[in-house]
Amino acid sequence: MWATNLKVVAIVLGTLALYTLIANKIPQVQSEVPQTLTLGANVTPEQLVAAGEKVFNGIGGCTTCHGLGTRAPNLLTDEKGAGTIGARCGKREAGKDCKQYLYESLDDPKAYVVAGYQPIMPTMTKQLSPPQIWAVIAYLESQGGTVDVTASDIPAASAAPAGGGGGGGLAGGSTDPKAIIQAAGCLACHKLDGQGQVIAPDLTHVGSRRDAESIRKKILDPMSSIAKGYEKLAGIMPKTFGSMMTASQLEALAQFLAAHK
Amino acid sequence: MTDNAFVLLQAAADTTRAYGEFPVIGARQFVWITAELHLMFAAFVLGVPMFAVVTEAIGIFGGDDRYDRLSKEFTRLLLVAYSATAIWGALLVFGLSTLYPRFWAYLTAIFAPSMWVYAGLFFVESFTLYLYYYGWDRWKKGRAKLGHWTLGILLNVWGTTVMFIANSWLTYMMSPPRDITPTTDPTSIKLWHAIANATWMPINVHRVIANVVFGGAIVGAYASYRFLAATSDEERAHYDWMGYVGNFIAMSALIVLPFAGYWLGREIYQYDQSMGITMMGGFMSWLWVIQAFLIAVLFLTGNYYLWIGMGRIPGAERFRPYTKYLLMVLVLGAIVWGTPHTMIADSKELAAMGGSHHPFLGALGVMSAKNTAVNLMILTTFLSFLLYRRANTRPVVPWAKSGTIIQGAMFALAAGVVLFYGIRGYFVEAIVRIGFSVYQVLAVLSCIVFVTLIDILMARGAQSLGTIQWGKMPPRSQYALFILAVTFTWLMGLMGFARSGIRQYWHVWQVMQDTSKYAATPALGYASKMISLCVLIFLTLVAFVFWLGGLAEKSTFVPLTPGASPGTRGASHVGH
Repeated sequence: MWATNLKVVAIVLGTLALYTLIANKIPQVQSEVPQTLTLGANVTPEQLVAAGEKVFNGIGGCTTCHGLGTRAPNLLTDEKGAGTIGARCGKREAGKDCKQYLYESLDDPKAYVVAGYQPIMPTMTKQLSPPQIWAVIAYLESQGGTVDVTASDIPAASAAPAGGGGGGGLAGGSTDPKAIIQAAGCLACHKLDGQGQVIAPDLTHVGSRRDAESIRKKILDPMSSIAKGYEKLAGIMPKTFGSMMTASQLEALAQFLAAHK
Repeated sequence: MTDNAFVLLQAAADTTRAYGEFPVIGARQFVWITAELHLMFAAFVLGVPMFAVVTEAIGIFGGDDRYDRLSKEFTRLLLVAYSATAIWGALLVFGLSTLYPRFWAYLTAIFAPSMWVYAGLFFVESFTLYLYYYGWDRWKKGRAKLGHWTLGILLNVWGTTVMFIANSWLTYMMSPPRDITPTTDPTSIKLWHAIANATWMPINVHRVIANVVFGGAIVGAYASYRFLAATSDEERAHYDWMGYVGNFIAMSALIVLPFAGYWLGREIYQYDQSMGITMMGGFMSWLWVIQAFLIAVLFLTGNYYLWIGMGRIPGAERFRPYTKYLLMVLVLGAIVWGTPHTMIADSKELAAMGGSHHPFLGALGVMSAKNTAVNLMILTTFLSFLLYRRANTRPVVPWAKSGTIIQGAMFALAAGVVLFYGIRGYFVEAIVRIGFSVYQVLAVLSCIVFVTLIDILMARGAQSLGTIQWGKMPPRSQYALFILAVTFTWLMGLMGFARSGIRQYWHVWQVMQDTSKYAATPALGYASKMISLCVLIFLTLVAFVFWLGGLAEKSTFVPLTPGASPGTRGASHVGH
């Protein structure tokens, strides 16, 4: 019986080993989490193209369809004699230059479906941030054309301070309080204007309980004061928000909440 | 629910701390293992009762007592398996509430009422199982037996409902209704609105069928082990027959499973094109090559088992020359199905490939070729079953010859329809081509239904060429059943990774982002190691469950003493 048991074990382990081996021999592709792209006010075309290539080949998921020539037009190689995308983008729509055409194609792909293909492309402006979108456009322009994307094309709220390297802060450094609340995940515990959880104090009328100074202090040091009825939850609000926000973001958020009377 | 009550409910979990960490293996790995093992045991305790209630019905209405004993033997194993399911389920809940507290709070805010119903039904299901098993010998005859069978049906109803509820949670994570956004207050989401999401029903149907397949495969593996360990011809014959029944059920259900898979895939595409593309052509594209390999193993091993089985059937030798052609179709079909189509590749790789697909193999990688291949493989497997079924009989009805010709014509017609639409698919647009798969499936299913019907009518009063010599099987046939069980289980783990992985870095697709350090979805190599580990743990525990079942059996065994009458021996066995 031992011999039979050993054979059974060997067959089970052998089968598992075979499947594991095959799965490890094929190309290994990991799905990465999109990283925030911060571009300085003096970003160069070369930096934009390099950033765009990463987005195109990575988190943008563009290579899934483009480049194969069956699901979507080939962008990196010649497409039916019209050249690569940088060479043909300016001729696709009358009255639209390359940059404009590419942006609109990413913003409303269904409006520019090339004959012979299906309207399957998702709206990329909903999936990528403005800096990522403009970096991709620069990269596509570089494929046989001239890169004319500049830092001035990228919305100010998304661009980092001059000097590049990322200005830090939540929500790409935006000072829009709603964007900061969203990025910091405040609504996972607090409720505000009918949205969010009710685990921590409701912030809808926080301005009637605290002034801007008190709110600022509470964000920087959550243990500085505990709301009545929430003593059991004292100490569970992260102490890191102060270091995650820029000074202007903290000020914008404090003023915004203080106005919620 | 009041604010205070909510706070108390959340007190068990650290609600502001979004993620926890599990020592040594990490949070994601802990949740992965517990979820996978819970699911495997759940599939076992859902699949085996389906198997048990069908075999009990065959025993009742067919008058064959062997089926009743078979059914009871498996119900006994369920008792321990239920405990294992509950233990892994509890570990999963503890894991989610302590390692992913914010996500868990979000899910409970929407689904709490259904979670209580789930727990209640699990309770009812457990007691129905106890009644079903412990009442087996008490409610053995007449109406009482029908009542007992009804308990088996109820057991399946409770189990399936429990599964449907759990499916709603995980399908919500995949396909939350489109009006739900990251800023939607979860407490404001209507429960039924969240439950009836786009992929809920396709997953329900797919899992019900898959559980039947899984139940049959595990039964087959159990029988094969008992066959190999058998000490008498009688015992060997019993377990040989049981292994055949398990394999028959698994393979029959497997034939329908791809159709449920197509439906699920279509719903995913309709819900979100980008999710569908990620699944089939994005970072998961290589997964389907592995899946094709596993399906090929299943078809080839299942057919191999049948062909070996024909060796124990008098009269089967007349069909043996055909097996090489059947093998040829299966191998060719598997190769076509495994041909890659749209592989994710960077610009350098695309340039090296010539910009598009492989100049020759690219044509075989498209769905037209793959659908044709899989439908022909299904037809071939059905033909194997038919030959097996007919092996020891010779029809005597006057229309036997024309009946066989009609059956052959139906096979030819179905294969013709499959080939026609397969070739035509190359010349039409994708949207038209997708519709062709429906015609192909209908042709194959119609062939299976009508050919079986004719065969049943033709078998009336058929001349027997000898009885099946159960137990006369070489050991390699039993090892084939093991490979089937391992492959089915591994495939289940792989498909689970596909379903969960297409959400990528989202806990809830485009509603709640995974911001933990485990947010990136791992590559297939890593996933395969996790799947193998889970399968190994599961099979080890199942072997333990089987061993426990054997212990219970042995404890009631009264050995024959020199002075005892041989006639008492049969009565001393329980479960046979």
